[in-house]
Amino acid sequence: MSGNLNLVGYGLAAIGPAIAVGLIFAAYINGVARQPEAGSLLRPIAILGFALAEALAIFGLVLFFISPR
Amino acid sequence: MVLAALSPVLSALPMSGEGDGHFPPEPQDFWQPLFAIPGTGFYFTRSMAAIAISAILLSWWLVRTTRNVSVVPSRGQHYTELVYNFIRNDIAKDSIGAKDFLRFVPLLFALFVFILLNNLFGIIPPIQMPTMSRVAYPIALTAIVYVVYHWVGIKKHHGIVNYIKWMIPPGLPAWLLPLVVPLELMTFFINRPLTLALRLFGNMFAGHMLLVVFIVGGWELFTSDSIGLKFVALPAWLMAVVMTLFEALIQFLQAYVFVLLAASYFSDAVSGEH
Amino acid sequence: MYHFTVASSVPMAGEADQVPILPYLPELIFGLIVFGLFFWVVKTKVVPNLEAAYQARAEAIEGGIAKAEEAQAQAQAALENYNAQLAEARSEANKIREEARSEGAQIVADLRSQAQAEASRITESAKRQIEAERQQAVVQLRQEVGTLSTTLASKIVGESLDSDVRQSGIVDRFLAELEAGNVRPEKVGAEPGQDA
Repeated sequence: MSGNLNLVGYGLAAIGPAIAVGLIFAAYINGVARQPEAGSLLRPIAILGFALAEALAIFGLVLFFISPR
Repeated sequence: MVLAALSPVLSALPMSGEGDGHFPPEPQDFWQPLFAIPGTGFYFTRSMAAIAISAILLSWWLVRTTRNVSVVPSRGQHYTELVYNFIRNDIAKDSIGAKDFLRFVPLLFALFVFILLNNLFGIIPPIQMPTMSRVAYPIALTAIVYVVYHWVGIKKHHGIVNYIKWMIPPGLPAWLLPLVVPLELMTFFINRPLTLALRLFGNMFAGHMLLVVFIVGGWELFTSDSIGLKFVALPAWLMAVVMTLFEALIQFLQAYVFVLLAASYFSDAVSGEH
Repeated sequence: MYHFTVASSVPMAGEADQVPILPYLPELIFGLIVFGLFFWVVKTKVVPNLEAAYQARAEAIEGGIAKAEEAQAQAQAALENYNAQLAEARSEANKIREEARSEGAQIVADLRSQAQAEASRITESAKRQIEAERQQAVVQLRQEVGTLSTTLASKIVGESLDSDVRQSGIVDRFLAELEAGNVRPEKVGAEPGQDA
């Protein structure tokens, strides 16, 4: 079996953003469940937060590609 | 659980299958030149064809449905207006504010439909390649957004010096400045464009890779010698169908996120607040 | 295996091996051109039309709402006006009725008093007339009685008064003369007015 440790590194790096994204949407669902009429107000904020957290995973992807294999 | 069932099987597979050697898929699989452009040494690639097709299709549809607009819309005009009103009111107006959102609407609308169709190409049969999984196109679109929001910001703050001064939050103690200034400048000049382009690219690239893994992997299993592995191909393809639907969601979401972030950058630039 | 050189300068094998996060320059330029053209189409041909439709619809809806509101306001105003007029008319009618009633009573009272006055006046004048006539009769009677008695007396004295027949003849003659109007009353002695 052959492979690349970078892949494992990227997998590890994706854990943090994954948790962050989960927390963000948990909070969003909570908010909407408590106050359904706030849904349209919260959605862009949730998506923005999700995008920013995801950016960290994207950096991981970049590092995975540019690091020598 | 399908994945869990597959994992011992996958590890049992030879990493370079004896078929056409297409499993596992490589990033190099996305390089698909069609023909050489004479005299330049460049190649016309499949994604270039796809992006040209998308622009032609979209232009044709949009011009056709909006040529004779009326207050009571035709069916086509209704769908176009649905998307247009979504961009205009839910994204541009809400993020940028009612005062000067209108001049950004054409760009945001063009970006959204362009990215959405090119993303959806990833699951539309004859093309089946998300154009944005070639990093050049997200970079091109991001470059446009980048130029526009800096240009708007510089115009708003009357010159580049004021613009950069505005980026640094006021009221900081002097000893923090060396720490904060590079961070803020990085946010505005590096992080934002980089994440904007790479998010779109990364999602499309990884999503397409995932689909290829399940579909080609299923084929590898199906063509293997073991009869047991042939049966495992079915759940793999089922998973491919599920992932295709999931991809459709992601493709829409990424187009939305790209436009939403672009709108929020424009909003930052024109609002004058930090 | 991988390199950071500009994409266009590497041969085809290099393109395939290139890291996927570096753009292939022809794709970048082609993408910019295609999107630029598409943006031009959207900006000049699509968005103005859509925006016009949007504005027209917003105006139509707002105009419709404004019109409906105006109509509602007008109806409300008309209703209020009508109600006010109705109330006014009602109170006016009440007032008129009240006035009429009081006026009627007034008229009745007036008429009654007038009639009473008239009646008493007529009664009074009748009384007065009767009194006057009575007075006149009394005066006349007294005069005539005096004259008659003196005339009768003189007749009696002038003739022989011994025979009853004569006597009765004289009285009868006198009365006949009297009835014929030949006898003129003459004043004798006292004034008739003083006797009465």
